[in-house]
Formats: sequence, C-alpha cells, structure tokens
Amino acid sequence: MARGPKEPQLDRDLADLPQNLRWREWLRRIEVVLFASATPVSRDDLAKVVGQGASVDLLIADLAADLADRPYDVARVADAWTLRTRPAYAPAIRAAADVGSQALDLSDFDTAVLAAIACHQPISRDGLRDIFGKEISRDLIGRLSERDLITTGPREPRRGAPYTFVTTAIFLAAFGMESLRDLPDAEQLTDAGLSELLPKS
Amino acid sequence: MTKRPVVPSDPAVFIPQLPRWIMTATAETLEAAAFRSGAALAHLHLVTGNSTVPQALWRARLALSAAESCVRIMGRREGVVALRDAVHLIRPGDSPGPAGEILRQWFRAVSRSVQAAPLARVLEGLSVEKIAACFDGAVGNPVDRAVSVLESMLVEMPRAETAALILTDAALAKALGWDPLVPLLSLGLKPRDLRLRGDDLHLASHRAVTTASGQAVTLAADLTRLATRLRAVVPQLRAKGAGKAVDLFLSHDALAPGALTGLMSDRAARRLCDRLVDLDVVRELTGRDSFRQYGV
Repeated sequence: MARGPKEPQLDRDLADLPQNLRWREWLRRIEVVLFASATPVSRDDLAKVVGQGASVDLLIADLAADLADRPYDVARVADAWTLRTRPAYAPAIRAAADVGSQALDLSDFDTAVLAAIACHQPISRDGLRDIFGKEISRDLIGRLSERDLITTGPREPRRGAPYTFVTTAIFLAAFGMESLRDLPDAEQLTDAGLSELLPKS
Repeated sequence: MTKRPVVPSDPAVFIPQLPRWIMTATAETLEAAAFRSGAALAHLHLVTGNSTVPQALWRARLALSAAESCVRIMGRREGVVALRDAVHLIRPGDSPGPAGEILRQWFRAVSRSVQAAPLARVLEGLSVEKIAACFDGAVGNPVDRAVSVLESMLVEMPRAETAALILTDAALAKALGWDPLVPLLSLGLKPRDLRLRGDDLHLASHRAVTTASGQAVTLAADLTRLATRLRAVVPQLRAKGAGKAVDLFLSHDALAPGALTGLMSDRAARRLCDRLVDLDVVRELTGRDSFRQYGV
C-alpha cells in the first residue's frame, strides 16, 4: 500500500538534549504510548521510543512515581504495561461515562465458560461440554476469541484432533491479573460455591 | 517371541551415585550447604564428560522436568504427558500453546551451545548483549554467580520466570565449563523459593543444586543402562534406517512414529517402534492406542 510522505524518523536517542530533559521526554513518550493504546504495550515496543540501552523498567518506575497522585496508574500485565484507572474512581466513571458499550459485553454464561477455560486450560469444546453438561456453541467460543480473551492451544491427541483453547494476556489484563497464579485457588473456589470449576485431578 | 538382549557388564556403564552424606542435610549454614553443592557438582562434572551417558537424551529428560516446574510456576496445570503431546504431536502451522512453548524453549536451550548468541535465539526478549553481560558480570563461586543472575532477572522481569531460570542454569553451566547446559536450579528450586532474596535465595539455591544433582546422576545411570541395551539390539534390527532411528531415540525425549518417516515409510516406522517395545528397549509413553509416543 502506498503511503503519503514518509514521517520523519523518530529521534530515539535525543543526543542534543541535556540528560534530565532527555529522561523527561522519554517518560512522556512512554506515558503517551500507554495512553494511546487500548491493550497492554510490551517492553520491546516501549523500548522502540526511547534511547538504545535506556532501561524501560526504570522509566516505568519513574512514571509510576509521577502518577502517584493521579487517578490512574501504570499496571503491569505479563511482560507489558497499561494505564488503568484507580478502583476508587470506578463509581465516578460509571455515573458519568458510557463505558457499557466498551466493556467486554459477555453474558453470564459466556463468562462462566471463560472461567472454565481459564481454570482447565488447555481444554477443547468436548471438555467444556463435560463440565457444563451441554454443547458449547462455536459462536460462544467465537465471541471469546473475537475479544482476544482466548486463543487456540495444542490439539487434543485423540480422534479428530480437536483444538484446545487457552487464555491470553488480554484475558489477564481484562480481569486485572498479572499471571494465572492470581486465579482463585481450590479453597477460594470451594468457599464461593464454585467447586464445579475445579480441575478434576 | 521376545528375545531379551544380553546386558553387557561393562564397568564403564556403571555411573556411581552421589555419596549419601552429600544428600542428607539438616538445618545448616550457608557454608555447609555450599560445601555439599560443590561436592555434588564435582561428581556431576564426571557425568557430563562421560561418553557412555546418552548426553543429549539425558539433557532432554532433565529439560522436560525443568519445563514441568516452569509451567507450574506460571500457574498452569499441564503435566509431563500434556507437555509432550503439545510439542511432539504438533502439526505444521499449529501452536504448541503457552505450556508447550515452554517445553520447546527448554529443549532448544539444552541442545544449543552455552553462548550469548545461540541463547538469545532461545530467550526471546533478551538481547545478546544482555545475556553476555549476565555471563561476565557475576563474581564468586559458580552457584553464587548463577544466583546473582537469577536475582537480577527476577527483579527486572518478575513475570519471565522461564527465561530467568534458563539463563540461570546457563550461567551455572558457563561457570562450570559445561556445554550444553544441564538444568539444575530450575529443577531444584520450588516456586516459593523464587520469592526469596539475598542469603536466603543463596541457601535455597545451594540446596536446589544438590538435590537436582542427585536426581540428574540417578537419571544418567538409568538412561546409560537403557541406552547400552538399546545400542546392543541394533544388529538384530533389519529395518532400513534402524541404526539412525536408534540414534534419534538416544538423543530425544520422545518420538512419535511420524518423526521417523524421514528414514523409512510410515508403516515401517510403526513396526520398528513396536519391535523396539517388544525387545523391551523402548517404551510407549502415553498408554493410548493412537497418537502414540515412544522413548527410551
């Protein structure tokens, strides 16, 4: 595809700025990239806008300190970062902004299937049918895939070699988890009356 | 019908186990733990240089265990069977999934040279310079050097435990002059150990090296015995390419018969696998009727 006049190359190293201003500019770039992106931005991508060898981790730490008294915060998701509003402001956001249309927009049953995939992954549609006692439609799986909450994993080693499904980094971000270790453990699930979600051992 | 091969009583086949005093620990100081881990590593050093040990197969099996513990650390529940399925039964264009990817990374890590450039291709997200700096920057005894790599990685990239552990075992191997690396700290460290820092992490690591060395020596002894038997049956195998197929078994954790089709027809590959199972030199690993996998 032909593009218009080429954008001037981003000056990453900012060699002509004094050190403190250079750092300031890098911080702003990281913040603006995170601000502009709806999904978490990986370390590699962030490293593209700052000088060679500049530590993304140190910049993120400084950014987090800068944001200490702001109503949003920089959050780590797997090996990537995103800006996230602080939970205390949730009521204000809900009262005024129309976030309903941006939310995941999943039915309760979709969410239950997503939870089962998270706890049992990798799991195929047959595995899900065994848990829920009914066929899980391709449409439902499609809705979860469309939102990038799940993706295909390895095939199951049996007739027809059906695909399994696993959760993604977006899934972790959407539910405020850093890794699958943050999923509730067996005891928490049992206490919540959700023991049917427990992996069969 | 089953002819058992005569087991040669070659003394070189015998791999001595670690002395018991190394493996028995009570509440101990860092110095005592370091003494034991040093003794265990010196013993293991002889195994890494022993040509009767099927080195590639040994490292691949250790890599499988290392991958299993990395998967557990990530909060996933795939066991050895699921990990093998994901990697060995993969079809072109399919994804091995997040857990299979970890096993694949480990298999690559133990089959490449312990140099910054080849490891950078295994450890996505880490530059050659970064890996070289990890190898050169650390000081002290080999275990301490590996632990300082682990500690800095855990602080810098707290959610990239697999990369951290591969690099840690690579730093250990580098300091000991082993090539390719042998997974040890990644086998011996428990998930909760990764939250320790400073002297506590050092103590846990010395212990981990000692326990893992014990396991690695036992595994080396078992595999050497099995490999000697497998090599001994090669003259009895008439299939074309059988010798090369045996070499593959001696360097891979597990093989689906399909992996042998470069050497022989699909049917011949299945028959050879069945024959090796009949001779009791190779096992079927899955217990399934289809999608089978074989290994020493």
